Amino acid sequence: MKKSRRNFLKIAGGAALGAGLSVLGKKGAQAAAKKKAMPKEPVRIAAISFLTGAAAAPFGIPGNNTYKMLADVINKEGGILGRKIDLLDYDEAGGVDAQVKLCRKLILDEKVDVILGYISSADCKAVLPLSDELGGLIMAYDCGTHVLMEGDTSPFKVPKYTLGFRTKAHLGIDNIGLAFMVKKYLPDTKTIAGINPDYAWGRDSWLIFETAMKKLMPQVKVVGTWWPPLGNTDYTAHISALMGVKPDVVHSALWGGDAVTFTKQAMGMGFFEKIKMAYSRGEPYPQEIGKDYPEEQLICCAGTHYFLYPPHDRWPLNKWFVEEYHKRYGKYPTYPCYHAYQAMYAYKSAAEKAAALVGGWPTIDEIAKAAVGLSIQTPSGHLMIREDHNGVEDVLLGFSKRITGYPFPILDPNRLEVFPAHMVNAPVGIRTVDWINSWKV
Amino acid sequence: MWPIYILNGFYFSALIFLISLGLNIILGVMGILNLAHGSLYAIGAFMAAWAIIALGKGTPISLIYASLISGAILAALFGLFMEYFLIRPMYKRALEYQLLITFGTLLLLEDVIKMIWGGEAYYASRPFDVLGKVHILGNPYPAYFLLVMIVTLLIGLLVWVFMAKTKVGIMLRAISLDREMATALGLNIHKLSTFAFVLGAALAGLAGALIVPTTAALLGFGMEPLILAFIVVVVGGLGSLKGALVGSLIVGQTRSIGIVVFPEIELALLFLIAAVILVAKPEGLFGR
Repeated sequence: MKKSRRNFLKIAGGAALGAGLSVLGKKGAQAAAKKKAMPKEPVRIAAISFLTGAAAAPFGIPGNNTYKMLADVINKEGGILGRKIDLLDYDEAGGVDAQVKLCRKLILDEKVDVILGYISSADCKAVLPLSDELGGLIMAYDCGTHVLMEGDTSPFKVPKYTLGFRTKAHLGIDNIGLAFMVKKYLPDTKTIAGINPDYAWGRDSWLIFETAMKKLMPQVKVVGTWWPPLGNTDYTAHISALMGVKPDVVHSALWGGDAVTFTKQAMGMGFFEKIKMAYSRGEPYPQEIGKDYPEEQLICCAGTHYFLYPPHDRWPLNKWFVEEYHKRYGKYPTYPCYHAYQAMYAYKSAAEKAAALVGGWPTIDEIAKAAVGLSIQTPSGHLMIREDHNGVEDVLLGFSKRITGYPFPILDPNRLEVFPAHMVNAPVGIRTVDWINSWKV
Repeated sequence: MWPIYILNGFYFSALIFLISLGLNIILGVMGILNLAHGSLYAIGAFMAAWAIIALGKGTPISLIYASLISGAILAALFGLFMEYFLIRPMYKRALEYQLLITFGTLLLLEDVIKMIWGGEAYYASRPFDVLGKVHILGNPYPAYFLLVMIVTLLIGLLVWVFMAKTKVGIMLRAISLDREMATALGLNIHKLSTFAFVLGAALAGLAGALIVPTTAALLGFGMEPLILAFIVVVVGGLGSLKGALVGSLIVGQTRSIGIVVFPEIELALLFLIAAVILVAKPEGLFGR
């Protein structure tokens, strides 16, 4: 299996390299001929994810497991340009101040080659400006807020940070995708409501969903929005309040322990017998909750990150990824695992592309330049990093359904929808909200 | 839906009543504002979740319910240790020393929890799942929530009987009323204080154990209930058991109805009520 994955990546890598060298032209070829020295010591990669707290089990630990797995796989295959990876994993817990301190330490004292990190949008917003301030390469791997790389007005200047990247698409794809699904599969929807965590992630997710819904289905009425605090342990009052206003669909960006607690308590209160949920990051929870997870819930996969998609016969890299992860950790990979893959291989591919251009091990600036316009094949399909230093991806959504052979509901194979990147990502330099408002529906 | 909104309010009142009852016993008898009380609640939750998971799916459900008591026992043991080694030397010190030592203990206990149970979330919902739903006026409602309310009511009654009718309870109340006079009358203040602290810790641990089947036990689990318990204590009155009951009911119902009527200010509403009561009656509704 590994052989077929390596062949697959070799073909993909060769194509990317070819494209890079053609861009390089004569000048680059001369530079490449100079040949810089290739250090012998390992590449020091700092991986930062929540290893404790509410976000650890559903996001941080699967993400960190993936980094460890990939470092091992890459090292066995010879490392990055012959340099082994020295993976340093850190806990994202402790709040924004702790992460800013850690980031400074990693760049200035530890002198790591790159930081692949951050699940929290708040941490990303605080840390990414440090990339240019301290001269360190930071690739945000899982945080979602759309404002991270956007300006205050459209059009805005890109990139926002020279050395700061996000190797995934932002939350726009999840919430625009949900609105498309409601219009297509639940056309009789007349009322919607929202229950979202009371901070940037929850507020931004609802903003995009509501904006897209108003554009796509202007007749739909918002009957209520609820903003429980992060880490809430009792949702009974919220669940009853939602049931009281009788919405057809409830949008939610609840995550981690909050999503599990809400779903379990709602199951006990008969919520799912009357109301359909649209979870913007619902993909990990059927596996987390198990066989009792309700059917017919609308679930977004934060990209096309799903253990059964792309189908294994058509995309062997996903088959390899799912099997390798399951073999090592006894679970199927969830979307943070796919995001970790994207970050690790975006860095590896950018370093290799830059090395081919300049000869020898590239500088941080050279790697950052090479990362722009990078297109890599991942277990989920294709990832492209644009001039705004943000990744763009397609998005996969579906409805939960119990199917024999799986110990938890999976996405109904007959109602899987993939919306292509250009349908769910705003063009470079345009704010997502302005872009949605410009649609002619 | 209004009967369910009210019921939700009673359920939430039940949860915070157990926590604030323990906090108030410690405050009333010992004069110590225990900032680490939420951590004792978290220890109870982690212990119970661990016990439920360790016993496994094959264990009879009655044993699973009995295992919830392990949360109260472990929290009581931590309380005993804490009182003996950390709180006792602070009795004669100024209030700020007590606050510092209990805040330090809060941070210490977070790390202890991390060392024992790691950083992952613990899901142990079997007691919640097994009981299923009941129908109240046509609305499905988790039977486990009713169980929590009944258990809390029984414990509240037991504590009241204990404090009102038993010799030890009367001695604890005597200390609470006038510590110096109680000492002069020959009461063993040290032993009784230890007992009060352990009782308060056990109640916090039991509250954690009771809630854990409905949610996930994770680091930082004790912060939210600690803040809510403080609101209850402020509203009801420092050191008053009756105040803990009435304060819990006010906070529980305000939260439940507030979420329905004023969803945008669900958190602010509780603090607003506390502020109004503090302005009108600075000692709380039943404070002395």
